[in-house]
Amino acid sequence: MSKPNRSKLWFLVHSWLALPVWFFLLIICVTGTLATVSQEIVWLANPEIRASQPDADAPRLSYSVVMERLKQQVPDIFVQSLHRPDEDHFALNARVSYPDGRTLTVYVNPYTGVIQGESPTFNFSQFTRALHGWWLMPFTNGYSWGWYLVSFMAIPMLASLITGLVVYKRFWRGFLRPRLRFNRGARVFWGDFHRLSGIWSIWFIAVISITGIWFLIQAVLGDNQVTISTEGIPTFIAREDIPLTDGSAAKQISLDQAIVVAKQSLPNLNPSFISLPGNAYSPILIYGRGWYPLMGQSALINPYNGAVEKTRSLSDRSALEFVTESMRPLHTGDFGGLWVKLIWFFFGLILSFMVLSGMLIWTKRTVQTSLALTQKHAKKAHITPILSAVKGASHE
Amino acid sequence: MNNKSTLPFKKWWLKWRFHLNILLVLIPLGLMPSYLKDAALFRGDTGLGEREIGLVKVGPWSITLAELRDDIPQQDGPAGYLKSINAALCLACEDQVKATYLRLGKPRNIRTAGHIFFGSPYRMGTSISIPEKTQSDALVWITMEGWDGSLHQASLPLTQVSPKTVAWLEKRGTAK
Repeated sequence: MSKPNRSKLWFLVHSWLALPVWFFLLIICVTGTLATVSQEIVWLANPEIRASQPDADAPRLSYSVVMERLKQQVPDIFVQSLHRPDEDHFALNARVSYPDGRTLTVYVNPYTGVIQGESPTFNFSQFTRALHGWWLMPFTNGYSWGWYLVSFMAIPMLASLITGLVVYKRFWRGFLRPRLRFNRGARVFWGDFHRLSGIWSIWFIAVISITGIWFLIQAVLGDNQVTISTEGIPTFIAREDIPLTDGSAAKQISLDQAIVVAKQSLPNLNPSFISLPGNAYSPILIYGRGWYPLMGQSALINPYNGAVEKTRSLSDRSALEFVTESMRPLHTGDFGGLWVKLIWFFFGLILSFMVLSGMLIWTKRTVQTSLALTQKHAKKAHITPILSAVKGASHE
Repeated sequence: MNNKSTLPFKKWWLKWRFHLNILLVLIPLGLMPSYLKDAALFRGDTGLGEREIGLVKVGPWSITLAELRDDIPQQDGPAGYLKSINAALCLACEDQVKATYLRLGKPRNIRTAGHIFFGSPYRMGTSISIPEKTQSDALVWITMEGWDGSLHQASLPLTQVSPKTVAWLEKRGTAK
């Protein structure tokens, strides 16, 4: 194939990749962008989830003290887990259950232990994640169809990146001589915008699409019962390790004691999530990040005698797990606090505008050139506009 | 380029392809009510489950059971068909019961008591497997274990636990 023809082909492939479902892709990008900062949006809207410090020197309460304060406020409360969000300006999330059967998250002030509010039935963060992640389609037998639908779009996205770089000749020159012309009409502006934001988003589009393709692979593996996990079977407390009593529940160690034990095995553990035993035979789970921000480590502690039942540190993961477990935080930008989230949000916005600008360029240019291609009798006439379009893509 | 057989499809495609966007966007809009209903169900706003089975006496204790879904069992890959059941312990016995198990058919001993319940005593859950050859008069056994080591059992017919499961088994023609 001659060079102009090859360029023409790449250009057409690039132009048609997200079509005809461009609006669907746009909504996926917009909801994903919102999902990265959904917690922060709720933080701005709802004072109940803020960790207001009563005075400047007030220390954060330990997990055991938080548990005591919760029981003081609601004696019948059953606490299932405590989660300390990465960012210190967020209240603790305690998963609790009430005697009327309601099981929900309450927001707890980390300095006073006061329950500041309850998560509503409509949870904005969860909703944006569900919409972005699986298009609200239910998980019935295995992964949701929506999960496949959304994650499949990562393939045209990656292909758009590759073909985009192929048709945008010497794209690296765009870094040195950025161009965004406002005075040459909408088509030129959106073309400049698409190319300029495209080259600055190469890394982001690659991260989002590759991790997105991983989500697709994950679903295919999961639905075919293929596991790459080295985690093994769930841990249960042996029957003989549970003390017999005269009829009331056996005494359990405190969460702070469990954390001390866990830290003896995993010295750099920074506990951010504690799951209390789900029944008499299940251990206390203490989870947190260590030195590597993309993955966590955890310890399972026997709640009766304080023995470490199992630990899972970074070194317990296979090389493959290091890659695959890093995929989700890389996709969501949730691994380095607020600034990383804001960077993901910003580039998410840019990516959404790239879909939109791509569509605008398409309506203004590609429709005509493609129509021309399909018109057999206009064979001679169509070469000129296509070549000029290709030239436009590479030189504008 | 276009022969006569592909032409109508091509025309149809060119005319309607962008309407795919509308169809795709309509999916979550249509699913919103069921999403919100599920959010309320999992939060316990609408009761223990979609269908309450009732209060069952087990020795000195009692337990309220409910079907999470008022529906047939859900297939879960090689695990086969599973039926999710929620339960709440009586408030007075919450501190005395060490574990609660559910099983289709009578367990031979405590080690085969069945699927253990997880969660809070106010709202815990488990899933029991429903083999496709289950007979419609099968019994569901509840085993409760006390912190003092005592064991108590009770059973109730599958028709009472999940009428839709029994109807489904009968429809498949495997129940006798």
